[in-house]
This record gives sequence, C-alpha cells and structure tokens, in this order.
Amino acid sequence: MSAVFSLTLRQLSGRWRLGIMTVLAAMPVIIATLMVSDSSAPSVREFETAVLGAMLAGSIAPLVVLAIAAAAFGNELEDRTLANLTLTPIPRWRIALPKLLATITIAAPFVALSAGLTAHIAFLGDATATIAVAVSAIAGVAMYAALFVWLGLVSTQAIGIGLLYIVLWEGFISGFVSGARLLSIRYYAIALMHALDPRRFASSVQPGSVAAVAMSVVVIGGFFLLCVRRLHRMDVP
Amino acid sequence: MSAVTSSMAGERASAAGAAPHRDPAPVIRVSNVSRWFGSVVAVSDVSFDVMPGITGLLGPNGAGKTTLLRMMTGLASTSSGSVTVFGQPVRDNPPLYRRMGVMSEHETVYGFMTGREFVTMMARLRSVPDVEAATDRAIARVELADAQHRSMSTYSRGMRQRMRLAATLVHDPDILILDEPLNGADPRQRLHFKQLLLSLAAEGRTIVISSHILEEVEQLANTVLLIVNGKLAASGGFRAIRAALNQRPYHVRVLCDDPRRLAAAVVTLGSVDAVHLDPDGAIVVLSRNVLDLQVELPRLAQREAISLRRVEPLDDSLESVFGYLVEA
Repeated sequence: MSAVFSLTLRQLSGRWRLGIMTVLAAMPVIIATLMVSDSSAPSVREFETAVLGAMLAGSIAPLVVLAIAAAAFGNELEDRTLANLTLTPIPRWRIALPKLLATITIAAPFVALSAGLTAHIAFLGDATATIAVAVSAIAGVAMYAALFVWLGLVSTQAIGIGLLYIVLWEGFISGFVSGARLLSIRYYAIALMHALDPRRFASSVQPGSVAAVAMSVVVIGGFFLLCVRRLHRMDVP
Repeated sequence: MSAVTSSMAGERASAAGAAPHRDPAPVIRVSNVSRWFGSVVAVSDVSFDVMPGITGLLGPNGAGKTTLLRMMTGLASTSSGSVTVFGQPVRDNPPLYRRMGVMSEHETVYGFMTGREFVTMMARLRSVPDVEAATDRAIARVELADAQHRSMSTYSRGMRQRMRLAATLVHDPDILILDEPLNGADPRQRLHFKQLLLSLAAEGRTIVISSHILEEVEQLANTVLLIVNGKLAASGGFRAIRAALNQRPYHVRVLCDDPRRLAAAVVTLGSVDAVHLDPDGAIVVLSRNVLDLQVELPRLAQREAISLRRVEPLDDSLESVFGYLVEA
C-alpha cells in the first residue's frame, strides 16, 4: 500500500498544483486580516457565514481538493498507467485507499492551515475556535477528497463536473434551499465546527452535529466503496 | 498463496519437460470470446488454448489483437465467452497476477521516476520477498544496469520497453503477455529482446506476444494465432501458416521493353498460372510458386533477349496475405 501512497504523493505534488493551492489557501487569511483591521469589524455570525461557510467550506476547500483529487486516478487514466496498479495481486481497496489518503495528505495541510490562521486572526487567538475551524476543515477535505477521487475515476471530465458541483450545489442551491443542506458537504463541515466549539458558534443550524458526523462517515465510506467497486468492474485503458 | 507458488513452480518444470503429461491442461484457455463496442465487433467468437512456449498473436493493425490481449489479461471484460488462466477466470482475479506479467502496447511509465525506481515499485506492488535483489536481477536481465538511475523520461523508446520488460519480469512470472514488445526497438535491441524471450521460454514460461510483423513472429513463436478482422483466421505451427501463405497466388507486375513477347513466353513457365497485359504496357503474372518465378523469370528474359525494367509484387502486404487466409 505504501508503494501506491508514495507514487500518488509524487504524482500529485506538481509545482503548478501546489502553486494554485497556495494562492487559494492564502485568500481567506488575507480577507480575515483585512476584516479585523477594519473599524467596522463584522460579527462572529457574519464572519462565519461569509468567510468560514461560503468561502472556506464552500469554495476554497472543495477547489483545493478538486485540483488534487481529480488527478489521483485521472492522471493514471490519461497516461494509461493505471494498468501498472491493477495488474498486480493487491486487492482493489489497497489501490483506492492510498490514493484517497495521499490526496488528503497533500490537501489537508493547505486547507487546515488556511482555516486555522483565518480563525486565529478573526477570533483574536481563541485556541478552541481555531482548533474547531481547522479540524472541521480537515473533515471537509476528507469528504470532498472521497467524492472527487471517485469522480476522477469515473469521468474524464472530473474537473468540469466538480466545478459545476461546487458552484451550483455547494455554492448556490445548498445556500438557499435549506433542505439541500442535508446533502451538502459544506454544511456537514460547518455542523462539525459548531459541535467542536458550541460556545462561539451558533448551534441551531441544519444538519445537527450527530447527523453531520454520521453523514461524514457515510460520504467518505460511500465514495471509497464506489471507487473500489469501479476498480473491480471497469475496463482499464 | 504459497500453495499457488509451489504449484506454479511445478507447472513450469513440467512445461520444460521435467514431467511428461498425457494431456496437459492449457495455461490460457480462450473460449468463444467476443467483444463489441456498440455496433462494432472487435473480436468475434475466438477460441484457442495457449500452452507453454512462445505463442505469437499475428495480425494486421486493427485486427483485434490488442482487444484480445486485454481480455486475456483481465484488463477488459468480454462481451461473451470466457478466458481462464490456470483454470481460473482471469477477470477481477488479482491473485492471478502473482503468476502473470503483462506489458501493454502503451508506454506506461512514470516520467518522474528512474528506471530502478519503477522496477522497484512494481516489485513492491507484487510483494516480491527481496525487492532489491529481484530488481537487480530483472534490470541485469534486460542489460540496463548502467542506465537504471536515470530518469525514464530521458530513455529512448527501446530502453523504456526494456525497462518495462524488467518491471514485468521482476516477480518471476510463469506467464508473460506482451503486446507489440518490439515496437520502437532498434535492430540491436530487437536481437537482444528476441534472445531474452527465447531464454525465458526455455525456462518453461508461457509467453504470448503480439505483432503485425510476420518475420518477427516467425523467429520467436512455436505457435501462431492469426487474427484478422477480429476472427481467428488460422492457428498452428509457423510452417503450416507459412505453407498456406506460400500456396496463395501472387500477382507480380513486370515492366519490360517487349511485353507481348514476354507474356507469350512467360506463360510456358511451370511457376506461372496466368498472365494478362495491362493497358499501360505492363504484364501481370499470377503465380502460386513465387520463389520459382523469381529464378525462372530473369533466365527467360535473358534467353529471349528481353530487357526487364521492373518486377514488383502487387499484393505482398500483410493485409492481402491475411485477407487471402480469411477467404480461404
């Protein structure tokens, strides 16, 4: 498994990808700094909705993960190298799991650092809030990674489909239709953040923290199993 | 899995002649296999068995060789029919790959890796016990020890093919399935590749190679499977296939300074079946024994004092040869 993990780390550590991720991750930190230095500083609620919810959980995190995760299998399919892995005696889950873990390993530090720094600046060094934001960001990365790694395996248009999903579902529909939040990774991550620091964050959001934890497990496990199933059944180019 | 390994060793020894079999089971069995993509039939109802030794899968480009090989390796599913390896279905059966080495037609390497890193990774993926020693052996076998620490992106195509073969061999498989392995190799590399394949076969392995080059297969394979338009057109020893090729009528176009007189004279030759004159002044000779014709025609021209300007086969392409066999 470590061979697939280290191979995937090398495949996904391209300079341009890391550059895009750095720029994306820096944006909320810069905005938080500007907001705090402004005399008319926003309330916690406003900051949570605009920066943590819409920007970090709904845009930055999925975009960073999409740039990495879609290539985890996508590059192998494009270069026809996936056969190197599937023509070996290792079980298919031992191909899918290291691909997913490598994606999370690369994307999580960027998103967690970005989220943690943003919260640290906005909440003036509140450690509990910082940890709550960073940990929920990592959970969001893991969920988005499972979704987009699977998408990269089933479609050659993963980037385009992923962008549509981020803009339409996570950005637009789940923001306006409250029922859609029950099927939104963005809102699962926000609910986890609320559960980790209920003192600072409002607790009356949908879904509830228990449902969010359960759905996080379902999303990660479900898309991972779909990946394994696909590897069993697909014609490998 | 150790039981599989010991069984594997036994089967390879018997293939090399250590233990006689009355009716040896085929290593690979392809039974009524078809594969279609929409309305296009790529492989149509193909059946054959593969035994130890080198089997050549021969056919023109687009004949369905790669599709067939992909089904034989489990990379692609069959639309109908089945493929078994050592009696087990090859599709979705990862443990079988302990005993199989597959080299696809495409250059499936990682440009950011050195040759050694690539072979080592493949050894790890196949759980080879002593990865470093196995890597050393495989790289030495393809004679690329000097280049093993260079990035594979700097390799020539032939070198990449050889390093890929090292990666295919690193777990010491019983079966090798190689799709157009000699593509891109220069003459020296081809010679080395052929010697290597022959030595691997001599160790009792079962090797299937595909090629669209007749001579390439002739020099390597004990058994030939001729694939044309997705169908198995002929199979058997190379001599039987070659005999069928030699018995087909060839069209030979001859340009000379007196075509009418040459046409009248050439029809008397034993190697000639028919002659006709083209409107452009050339004569076209139909012969079932083109080797004799090659000798008799210049002698006849000399005797008749006719100057030959050009002698060319009209249908010496593989496609026409394969087409003839299919029609037959």
